[in-house]
Amino acid sequence: MMRRALTLIALLSSLLSAKAEELVLAVSTREIAITSSFTGAEVSVFGLIERDFTTVARAGSYDVVASVQGPLGDIVVQQKSRVGPIWLNTDKLRFQRVPLFFSVLSGRPIADVLDEEGQKRLKLGIAHHLPEGMQSGAFALALQRLRGEENALLRDEKALNFVRPNLFTLKINLPGKAPTGLYVVNVSVISEGVALKSAQTGFVVRKAGFDAFIASTARTQPAVYALLTILMSVLLGWLANIAFRRD
Amino acid sequence: MQLYLPIAELPLSLFLLLGMGGAIGFISGMFGVGGGFLLTPLLIFVGVPAPVAVATSSVHIAASSVTGSITYWRKQAVDFRLAAILIVGGVAGTIAGAFTFNGLRKLGQLDLVITLSYVTLLMSVGGLMFVESVGALLDRHRGRTMTPRAQRVHRWYESLPLQMRFPRSKMATSLIPLIVLGATIGFIGTVLGIGGGFLVVPALIYLFRVPTSVVVGTSLFQILITMIAATFLHAMISQAVDLILAVTLVVGGVIGAQFGARAGQRLKGEEFRILLAVLILLVGLRFAHDIIGQPSDRYSINTTELER
Repeated sequence: MMRRALTLIALLSSLLSAKAEELVLAVSTREIAITSSFTGAEVSVFGLIERDFTTVARAGSYDVVASVQGPLGDIVVQQKSRVGPIWLNTDKLRFQRVPLFFSVLSGRPIADVLDEEGQKRLKLGIAHHLPEGMQSGAFALALQRLRGEENALLRDEKALNFVRPNLFTLKINLPGKAPTGLYVVNVSVISEGVALKSAQTGFVVRKAGFDAFIASTARTQPAVYALLTILMSVLLGWLANIAFRRD
Repeated sequence: MQLYLPIAELPLSLFLLLGMGGAIGFISGMFGVGGGFLLTPLLIFVGVPAPVAVATSSVHIAASSVTGSITYWRKQAVDFRLAAILIVGGVAGTIAGAFTFNGLRKLGQLDLVITLSYVTLLMSVGGLMFVESVGALLDRHRGRTMTPRAQRVHRWYESLPLQMRFPRSKMATSLIPLIVLGATIGFIGTVLGIGGGFLVVPALIYLFRVPTSVVVGTSLFQILITMIAATFLHAMISQAVDLILAVTLVVGGVIGAQFGARAGQRLKGEEFRILLAVLILLVGLRFAHDIIGQPSDRYSINTTELER
């Protein structure tokens, strides 16, 4: 009896205010392990655009855009110029706390989905994640170009796939050089050039197994690591001498 | 097959690494040099960050010097007394080198120092060697006998205090120039990721008249100890030694070295030195091209400073 009354109240209140869509996300994996055979990975994000009879009616169909932001770090861009007979790095600019991986995901060219203003509001693009006052200029352009060449900045226009008009998947391709740390995925539902709803999910990339053991030993117990390395090199050198002895 | 390198933090082809190790091993077996001056640039060229390339090369050099040292030791061609003195200087130079290396890395000038040093070092040593060996070859063709380059004159640095006799090398000299030589090689080797055999061997022959029969074995043994110290210090201070990268390079290297040693036996002395000189000059030119030629891209990202 009580429950029915509550449902009625909820129904009435929702009728009074027309609701926007809800966005529900699920990610295929929470953790990506970098082992010795790691050459990159693919992560899928599943999304459901929920609507009930109170949701505003839309004329067009939904579109989805997303950004994947990797861990933050400093990137130093340097510029060469001629000093006498040789070319030297004479100028440099440090960009602090920049995503070391960034990718923009969509189903078709991003400009067809959102205008410049809309892209800026959703921070779709590394330029919007550069420190304040350093978002334009020759160094910022060079950073974008060079990181793009290293596959640290990606733009995937075939990442989105609608299974149903309100059910979609996003494919995230991570390169083999993907830095370790937390990756945040920001997904936004767009209709007629307007962002209706955004939601966030994420996953972690970390070293695992033997590689994790080596990396952590090198950092936490450098003396043990050093002795292990020396022992290995002496042993291999000695074994080679025995194996290929000719006298 | 790709192999992920945990310290360099990138995947590289296992066969590329084994092949590179093999090629360097072949050359070092053929010429009796450590091959660090080729390995470090090659690693940087395939994308390994410069600090990891330098630090990991020292492991490779240590391993290949073990193989060589045992061979020469068995032939009793090592002057352990001379090697010990060089090592005293070498370890001191290594310590200074490891701290300088880490300091330069923090300043963001490591890449520049590595490039400039490689150009000057390789071009001058390669050039001298080339001129000397071509001269020797021409002399032989004209039927002239080799004039002994090192005359029995006691040079000023040999009469400095702290005299010591080296019966195995049939000479007596002051310890000071030997320690300075060891320290210089240790310092250069640690900063640039080279063993320095191509510097020690001519220095011992021309400056101290050490007989050629013991010079290579002694130099190999000295390099072995210096590179073990360098590996230890790099792992402690800059933490840039990649064990997985080192193992693949060493495995490729020891196999390549055996074939190289066989190929080297067919070469005559002068031809052998000309080839080595050309090789050194080519690596030097490759580095010179980087800083003299108009760069295709004036901007670059400093991977040494990329903090993760």
